[in-house]
Order: sequence, then structure tokens, then C-alpha cells
Amino acid sequence: MTTRAGADAPLHGLDKVATKAQATKFIPGQPDMWAFVLFETLIFTSYFVVYLLFRTQHREPYLQAQADLDLRVGIFNTIALLLSSWAVARCVQAARNGAYRSALTNAFLTILFGFVFFVSKVLEWVKEIRMGNGFTTNEFFQHYFFLTSIHCLHLLIGFIVMGVVVYQLWHPKRRSQELVETGATYWHTVDFLWVLIFALLYVVR
Amino acid sequence: MSTAFNKRLMVVWLLLSAMTAAYFWLDHSADHNGMLRPSTVVTVSAIAIALIKVRIIFREFMEVRHAPALLCRLTDAWVVLIAVCLIGSYFVGLSIAN
Repeated sequence: MTTRAGADAPLHGLDKVATKAQATKFIPGQPDMWAFVLFETLIFTSYFVVYLLFRTQHREPYLQAQADLDLRVGIFNTIALLLSSWAVARCVQAARNGAYRSALTNAFLTILFGFVFFVSKVLEWVKEIRMGNGFTTNEFFQHYFFLTSIHCLHLLIGFIVMGVVVYQLWHPKRRSQELVETGATYWHTVDFLWVLIFALLYVVR
Repeated sequence: MSTAFNKRLMVVWLLLSAMTAAYFWLDHSADHNGMLRPSTVVTVSAIAIALIKVRIIFREFMEVRHAPALLCRLTDAWVVLIAVCLIGSYFVGLSIAN
């Protein structure tokens, strides 16, 4: 934070270039959140390893079960979450530039696109269950329901995080750039974890 | 300056969405008359595209490109670690199955 505050200091020549280069280097949000992000990614990766090991042992049954998933829904989900990630990135930049109204609008857009993802995911679960694909139907759908529901749990926590971001942005006395960046870092994690889950559940053969 | 940044974010989003849409083509390339068939090329490509997307999200959306070298290297190492774990477990699984 201190390096960013010093970015506008009046300097000349090479000093200015060097200081500017240093000043632009910063960790977005709280370092603790980054530790959480990397740890959480490891947890998910270890589950992906289990899934791929099981999948390769019984390729045909997995492919037959996978045929019941609609790739278009997966792509729609991904685009919705990418839109929300784009919005939260815009929220961070707007807040940094002091455009708090725009930051709030983008925070609400983030929640909206996240909600679109959530609704389409629930509808997909309902559709699969109606087709006879439940948690205990086969190994593929066991992995599918486990991974998508754990991810959705992270998304629901993301709504609380974005709620805190909105609360902080709402009042001038509560505004904290570090908190907005921390919330955004969490939200992007929900996004990129879905990018991996989507590839592994819908596309992998 | 902020407009330039926002344009960059839009280009990043378009790129990520285009890479997501590429899965349509990848998916159809593996199937035969609606039947899903096993394919190592599709599996490795799907994982590779996802990892490139993850790195772009790290660098651009999560602003790692403005972060100190340690965070840049750490996130890159994580992408490599995920790649080794996913592609490795796929091939190890295949070799055990055979």
C-alpha cells in the first residue's frame, strides 16, 4: 500500500523511472488471501488427480455417463463466471481510481453474473437428477456432483465476500482498496477453479 | 489511463471467452455420430487450454503482472504444478489400466 501511495511523488529523470517501476509492484489484496488461494488450489488439484486416476481405469462407463452432460451449459456457465471476473477486475480498477460509483456498479454486476451461474448450475443438477443421474448412480456423476457442489459452496462464500466489498464501498469512511482487492482475489479463484472443473468434467475424454 | 486498462480487461475477457468457445470444436473433434470416444489428444488439449486460461486470469484479472517477482514465480510454479499433476495422473492412470 505504501509503495502505491508514493507513486505520485515529484521525481526527475532515471530516479523517476526506477521509482515508478518499483511503485507499480504490489501484491493485490492481503497476502493471507494469496496463501489461502494457493492452498485451496492444491486441495482441488489433489481431488482432480483422484478423479483422473479413477477415470482412466474405467474409460467407457465414464464416457457413457459424460454423454448426459450438455457442453453448451458448461460453456454458458464458464462465460457467466468470466463475465463476473471481468466485472470484479473493473471494480478494483475503478475503486483504485476513486470512481466509487462505477466500482459499486461493477461489484453488483459481479454478484449478478455469479447468480446467473448459480441458477444455471442448480437447473443443470435438477435436469440431471430427473434424467436419473444422481450422486450414487455411477462414479462419474459422483465426481460431478461432488466437484460442482464444493465449487458452488465456494461461490456462495464469494457472495458473502462481495457483500462485504459492497458494504465497504458504500460509505466513504469504510472504503479500503486492500479489502476490495482481497475480495476480488477470492472471486477470481472461484472463477479459475471452475475453468479447471469445466475442462475436466465436460471435455476430457 | 483507466480507459486503456479497461480496454485491456475487455480484450482479456474476449480472449478467455474465445478459448472457452474453442471447446465446442475440441469436443466435436473427438466424437463420432454423437458417441463420445476416448482421446488423449483432446484430454491433453482440454487441460492445456484450461491452464493457459488460469495463467491469463492470474496475470491479468488478478493483477499478478504488477506483483513482486515472488508472487509471479509462485503462481507460475502453481500452474506448472497443476499441469504436472493433471497430465501426469492421466498418463499414470492409463499405464496402470493397461
